[in-house]
Formats: sequence, structure tokens, C-alpha cells
Amino acid sequence: MPPKKPLASKEQHLFRELLSLYEARQLKKGLKTADQILKKAPDSGETMCMKGLILTHMGRREEGIDLVKKGIRLDLTSHICWHVFGLIQKAEKNYEEALKSYTQALRFDKENISLLQDAATLQTHLRNYEALQDTRELILKLRPNHRRHWILLALAYHLNGNPSDARKVLESYQKMLKARDIPDYDVEHSNVLLYQVRVIEDCGDFASALALLDGSAKSRGIVDRTAIMEYRARLLTKQGDTAEAEQAWRLLIEKNSDCLHYFRELFRIKNLPLDAVSGENREQAVALLLELSSQYPRSSVPARLLLDVSEGPEFEERVRVYVLDRLRRGIPSLFVDLKSLYANPSKPHVIENVTTQFRTEVESSLRSSSSPEGGESPTTLVWTLYFLAQHYSFLRRYEEAIETIDFAIEDTPTLPELYACKARILKRAGDLVGAVREIEEARCLDGQDRFLNTKSAKYHLRAGLREEAISLLGLFTKKDAASPSADLEDMQSTLYLLEDASCLYRLSQLGPSLKRYLVVQSIYDDMSSDQYDFHSYSTVRQRFTLEAYTSLLKWEDGLRAQPPFVDTALGIARILIAVHDDPALATSSTPSKRSDADKKAEKKAKKAALKVLDEVKKGTQNSSSNEDKGLEPPTAKDDDPTGVKALTASDGLEQAWKYIKPLVSEPLSLNRTDVLACAYDLSIRRRKYVLAAKSLLSAHQNDPENPETHLRVVDFKLKVSSLSPPPSETIQSLVNQTLLKVLPDEIALETLNSQYLQRHSDDPRAILAVADASTRIGTPLQEVEDTVFGILNPNVKNDVKSSLAACEFLNRIKSPRKDEFRSECDKHFPLSTMFKTAEELAGYKSQNGSAGGNEDEKEVVNA
Amino acid sequence: MITIRVARIEDLMGMQACNLQNLPENYQMKYYLYHGQTWPGLSYVAEDDKGRIVGYILAKMEEEVESGEPPHGHVTSISVIRSYRRLGIAKKLMIQSQEAMAAIYKAAYVSLHVRKSNRAAIGLYRDTLGFEVHNVEKGYYADGEDAFGMRLSLK
Repeated sequence: MPPKKPLASKEQHLFRELLSLYEARQLKKGLKTADQILKKAPDSGETMCMKGLILTHMGRREEGIDLVKKGIRLDLTSHICWHVFGLIQKAEKNYEEALKSYTQALRFDKENISLLQDAATLQTHLRNYEALQDTRELILKLRPNHRRHWILLALAYHLNGNPSDARKVLESYQKMLKARDIPDYDVEHSNVLLYQVRVIEDCGDFASALALLDGSAKSRGIVDRTAIMEYRARLLTKQGDTAEAEQAWRLLIEKNSDCLHYFRELFRIKNLPLDAVSGENREQAVALLLELSSQYPRSSVPARLLLDVSEGPEFEERVRVYVLDRLRRGIPSLFVDLKSLYANPSKPHVIENVTTQFRTEVESSLRSSSSPEGGESPTTLVWTLYFLAQHYSFLRRYEEAIETIDFAIEDTPTLPELYACKARILKRAGDLVGAVREIEEARCLDGQDRFLNTKSAKYHLRAGLREEAISLLGLFTKKDAASPSADLEDMQSTLYLLEDASCLYRLSQLGPSLKRYLVVQSIYDDMSSDQYDFHSYSTVRQRFTLEAYTSLLKWEDGLRAQPPFVDTALGIARILIAVHDDPALATSSTPSKRSDADKKAEKKAKKAALKVLDEVKKGTQNSSSNEDKGLEPPTAKDDDPTGVKALTASDGLEQAWKYIKPLVSEPLSLNRTDVLACAYDLSIRRRKYVLAAKSLLSAHQNDPENPETHLRVVDFKLKVSSLSPPPSETIQSLVNQTLLKVLPDEIALETLNSQYLQRHSDDPRAILAVADASTRIGTPLQEVEDTVFGILNPNVKNDVKSSLAACEFLNRIKSPRKDEFRSECDKHFPLSTMFKTAEELAGYKSQNGSAGGNEDEKEVVNA
Repeated sequence: MITIRVARIEDLMGMQACNLQNLPENYQMKYYLYHGQTWPGLSYVAEDDKGRIVGYILAKMEEEVESGEPPHGHVTSISVIRSYRRLGIAKKLMIQSQEAMAAIYKAAYVSLHVRKSNRAAIGLYRDTLGFEVHNVEKGYYADGEDAFGMRLSLK
């Protein structure tokens, strides 16, 4: 490459001026200066890049970026050109490319501190810890007098899995510091010391970590007392110093007797792990819990733990005391508190006996009003009935549950909890319309309470009453938002968005449903880029909250394994697969008639947009074009509001794969059967047989008896035995190997299917998978139908959800017996409204009053 | 069983969801992260046995302290899910957070804002937790409602 011709001295001077004008965001003047240089030196790549950068800031984005790219080509060895390019890529959140540009820039200006700092931020963001370590080493070498560079180097070592070097750096830092005066009670210094203890702990040197912790606690170097105590207890436990550790955990319980973790650790150190109390140590565990519960009578932790470890008559006695005390105090969460005991085969029965007996006692006490002193209070009866109703509901004894809660409502018709409880029972029993009616009763009794409002909106969505749900939500969302949904999106309510997405899906509005899921994805994208600012945040502020910061990084790493995110990806894939299999769905499922709420929202949004546009116009008139619009690209206008484009895209499966792939690849590699099954479904349709085989194998290893797995084993065998054109030899042999692993050798699919059915004859999901597999094998329709009807046999642990899935399945295979099955289900689940015909349901709804229809009126009554 | 403990980064999403269900004043995740990164020891959560956040206190230190004024803490948001009331959770959360404010930052007092119309909350702050009304902030909320500025001395 020929050496660049340097600018003449006058232009060099102007260029320096250009740089400072940009720093001061004097954009208009900067632009003029750049033009002045370019007149004399039209080939100056650096000037061109600076001009492009300024234009981008001024909102002339496309033109600006073109110019930057042209500038780089003219001067490939300029750190300024690459730096400018990196800035623009960073603003576009294209972090990987930005880092490449910064690396280029650093090649030509190795010791540029600001370039190095930005590169370190990008390296952290991209989890490129090895490179980060190098960058931090260099920065410290260049600026050894800055405190923070020492600490940030230690952090880089630590992140890169190198705690011993981190420890050395921190120790040198402390030595260096000794000469200076650290103010008493310095929170930043305290944070660094705590971090140092953690680093030493991660080196496995617990004794030194403890020594530093204790010394710093005494000298008041570390000021966070809770942290000191927690670190101490943890370190002593790791060190195996049983007596001291016990003391430390006891001190923590003394400080906060409501923290279960402290109790668990105390029991663990005493060799009485609370999760696995068995015959021999039960007595000891009980004794210690009794001691603790008398020591901390206000904490319910030891009292509740006692119920976990007690058995037989002792359990009965203790649960009686526990339950009666809380029923008398009217604790609404009592049932939820006890729910985990129901996993034990004998405890629910005892709880029922104790509570029904108490109910009788309270009732008779209330009848004989002669002794008001020793008598029970009427509210005790209400809370007892409330508890029992939940108990019955949990055990699926819905009739008893409703009868019981009705008694309570009759007694106290003004308590929202009772209606909310009834709503929940009805929802569980499948009566979604009745559930809406009851939760509305609850909500109207306390219109100020957002919790009841949210619950009611959720129940409306479950019942497919979307418009009503949204207008309800609007009672609490910001009034100046374009719509209630817009506010909830803005506030990142994944809860609402996921409910709405499923609601739209059930209403067969696949396009809008898909759009909802995409919003959730973008919320996660935002949360992921939120961390960017924090990479340099603690640096800037010198707070050194390094413990919190390293856990932020870990949390971000696991963000996309969180259930809402995974469910969203599955929701997207489910829709796109359905449309791929039946393209007619795309057109039939876009809303033909837009709802009033949508129209209203759109009008409002339009108005808001016009207002913004007006302001922009005004702005440009007033401040001419010097206004800095920033480097970030403006949010693109949504050109697909109903999702029809996304739905009908020719590469739908590829799009879906984009969302599923990260879940099944490193570093997440989720072991969820539903995710693996979905990865299989996409791969087999995309004719990626190796990927399909891999997903199937993982699903099989994960849970071979899962109905989802079984169905795909059958599907795979069928699909790969008749591939045309035949795949390459390598692929064929891999497919064969997979078949060998998931299928017992040479078994006929029919046999496999019926053996599976025999093993899971009481599982409705398994029965359905068998029926689905049968259709694929080519079993006559009649036999398939008989299999499905088997779900209604008394031995099957059937539920509403599975039966609904069965209805859908019969629909899909165009079974002539689908209506017969539906009406059988309706008889099978007498309380449920899910199996009614449209006419029956319309009649039922009008009986119940159109739920949520006259909100305004209700609000007035409540105000 | 409810456990009360200091909030960690991985609790912030649960706190945000809890806030959105309970209160009309909501914040984006980044604001929660900002609290967690800046004052890691001050926020507390109430968690049920399935790991769900059923109550929280989101707290910070006041950043703009006038010269001569002592440092003091501020409660950005506190709430408990309706079905977990009557257990004294709000009080327990508040006490833990206050202790941390005093111990780590030598906070002289803690302040908070409450809607003038929110009688239930005012009752909790005043009667149960010992706060006193310090001043009225006109039009503090987005919808124009006034706020009471309440304070509790930690000395």
C-alpha cells in the first residue's frame, strides 16, 4: 500500500479544528470545516469519515454512512477512519463488527486510551474475556496511576477464569494504596475489599479470605454488615469449621429470622439436611426446629419447616396448631403456604380432617352465641371455608369446592378474595366464562386494586374476551399512552404479552399472535443491550460494585434460557410450522374485521405521531440543522402491523429456526423435551436430516417415554425411510445410527406404538400421541378415533387441556366423530364451558351478562 | 413459606413483574438494574417456596443531597401481592432495607413518596412503619396528583 500523502499544514490545522468541533458537537461548523478541507484535499479519507460521522449525527444517515465507507477505502491505515466506523456500528448495536473496527483502529494507534477503553467495553459485552485481559493489561501499563485500572484488570482476570492473577493484582493495589489515606466509611473501598475476599474465595484459599474479611470488618474497611456476616458464614462452612459456622448462621438468623436460606444452611452444617430428613435424624431435626421456633416465635419459617419434617400423630398435632392459628388470624395465603405438603401421600388427608373438624367446631360455637368470650369469630369461619374450598379445588373436587366457597360468599358477600377464589376454581374446572363473572365481582369490590384488575384482565384473555381485557387494563395504564397495550409493551410486561399472544392464537389470529411474540423477543433484546451501559458504568462512577456487576453478567448470559423467552420462541415456531403445513391458515387467520379497541388505539397512535411530527418540524425551523440526532438509528416504522407479512414470508421455517437454534446450541443447549421436539419439527421440514437426528436423539436421551418424543421417533422412521432424492452416504449412515439408538431393532411401528400405549394407558397425552402416530403410520381412521375416545375411559387421568387437544386433533384429521367426541367431553367435564358449541356458549354468556361490557358504569358505582 | 432476603440481580425481573401487577407506577428493567448495580445491599425481596417474588422493596440512596444535608435513603417502590398480605411482609422488607441504609451509607433518615389519595399505603407507612408526612409535592405524579413526601428518622 502506498503511503498516504499527508495533508498540507493549513488543512492539518483545519482537521484538528474539525475534531474539536465534533467533540463539542458543533455539527454545522464541523461540516463547513470538513468541506473546506475536502475542497483542497478531495482524497482525504479521514476528513471524509469525519464528515460522514457528522452527517449521521445530523440525521442524514444514509449519506453519512456511505461517506464513511468511502473514506475508509481511501485510507485503510487510519485509526480515525476505523474508529469512526466502529462508532457507527456500535450505535447500530452491531457489536461484533464494531469490535473488529476497533481492533483495526488499534493496529494503527496501539496506545490510544480511548480506543482501548471502548474496545474493553465491547470485549466484555461479547464475553471475549481473553482479549479483555490483554486490553486491560495494556491500559494499566499506560496509566498505572489510576486506581480503577488496577481493579478493572483484576476483574478481567477473574472473568477470564483466572482468580489467582486477579488476587495478585488486588493485593498489589492494596499495597500501593496503603501510602494514601482512605477516608473512614468509604463505600467504594469497602466494595473493593469485599470483591477481593470473593476473589480469594474463588482461589479456594478460604483461610486467607476469612482473614481479610475479619480484618476488614474490624478496621471498618468493609461497611456492609449483612454482607460481612453472610460471607463469613459461607466461608466458615466451606472451610469445614462446623462450630464457628453454626455460630455464624445462628447470628444471621438472629438478624433476619425470615430468611429460609439461613435455616437451611444451619441444618446442613449440623448434618441434618432439611430436604432429606430420614428416620434417624428426624428427631434431632425436630428438636432443633422446636428450639428455633420458640426462640423466634414471630418467624413462621421454623414452624412451617416443622410440618415438613413431622409425621404421623405429631404432624397432625402440629398442623392443627399451625392451621388454626392462621385461620383465626385470617391469613389469606395459608393454603398456598401448605400446598407443598400435598406431595406427601398422607398429609392432605390429615389437613382435611383437621380443617373440617375445626369448621364444625366454629359453626357450633357461632350458633351458641351464649359464650362470646371463648367463642370463635365469624371471620374465622369465612377463612376456614376459604381454605377448604382451595383444598377441594386442588384435589379436583370442584363441586365440593364451589359449594364451600358459596357458603363463605353467602356469609360475607363483600370480601373480594372469596370471589377470586371461586373464579380460580371455575377456571380450573374449565368454566372460563363463569370465572370471568366471578373475578369481575371481586374486582368491582375493590376497583382501586391493580392486582384484581390484572387478574380479571387475565381471565378475560383466557376466555377469549380480548377487547374487554384491554379496556380493563386501560384503567391502570398511563392515560397518555397510545393504548393500554402500548403502555404495557413499553413497561416490558412479558406476562401480559404472553397471555395476549396465546389468546390471539386461540382466536386463530395467527398474524397478530406472532407479532405479540416478536415484541417479547425484542424486550429480551433490549434487556440484553441494557447491560452495555453498565460495562462502563461502574468505571465512570468509581463505585466498584463488582459483586453485583459480575452477577449481572452471569444473569445476562442466562437470560435466553428463561421460561418466558423459551415459550416465546416455541410460540413463534408453532405458528410458522402450522402455516407451513397449511398455507391457507395465513390468509384465513388474519383478522378480517379490526376490533374497535384496535381502531381506537390506532387513531390515538396516529394523533400522537402527528404531534411528534409537528414538533420535529418546529424543531428544524428553530434550531436549523445543527441539532444532534445521535448516532443510533431511528426505530423503523412497523410496516407489518397485523403480522401478515411475517406469516406469509416464503422463508417462514428459516425465520423460526433463527429463534430455536440458539436454544439448542452452545452455550445454552437447553435440555427441554418440548424445545428439542420443536427443533426436530423444524429440521425435518427444512430437510436438515442431521440436525433432525441430533434433536431427536437429545430428546430421546432426555426423556424417552415423553409422548412428544414417541411421536417424533415414529415420524422420523417414516420420513427417512422414503427420502427422495436419497441423501448422501454420510447423512444416510448418520440417520441409520440414530434409528438404531431410538428404535429397538427391526420392530414394526405398529407394535412400537401399541407397546407404548400399553405402558402409558392412563396418560391422556400419551394416548393422543399414539393416535397421532397411528394416522401417520396409515392406521384406518376408525381405529384412530377409537384410540382417541379412550381418553374418556375412567382409568385415564384425563383433564380439560388434554381433551381440548384431542378435539383439535380430531378436527385436524377431519374425523366425522369430532362432534360426538366434543359432546362426550362436555358430559365428562360438567362444569366446563370449553366443549360447548358456539350456540350453547352464546346462550350461557348471555345468562352471565356480557362480562366487562359496561366498565364505565361499574367504575362509577365503585368510585 | 415466605423468605425475606436481600435482592439479587436475578430477582429484578420478578420484582418488575410484581410491581406491574400491584401498582400504577412502573419502570423499565433498566431502572431496576440501575438500582441493583448502584446500591446492591439496599433492596429486599419476599420469595415464596417456588421462587416467585411476592413482595419487594426497591431502595436507593438520594443522589442529590444539598451541602450540609446528611445522606439519606429513598424508597423507590414497595409492594406485596394482594394474596400475601396480613403476614407483615412490607414491614419486614422495610426494616431490613432501613438497617442496610444506616449500616452501609450512614443514612440519617429514609424518605418516600405516596399518592395523596392512597389511604391504605399512607396508613401502612404512618401507623405500621412510623413515617411522618414531611411535605406535599404538588403534581408529583404523571397524572397530576399530589404526593406526600414522608420521612422516617433512622437515628
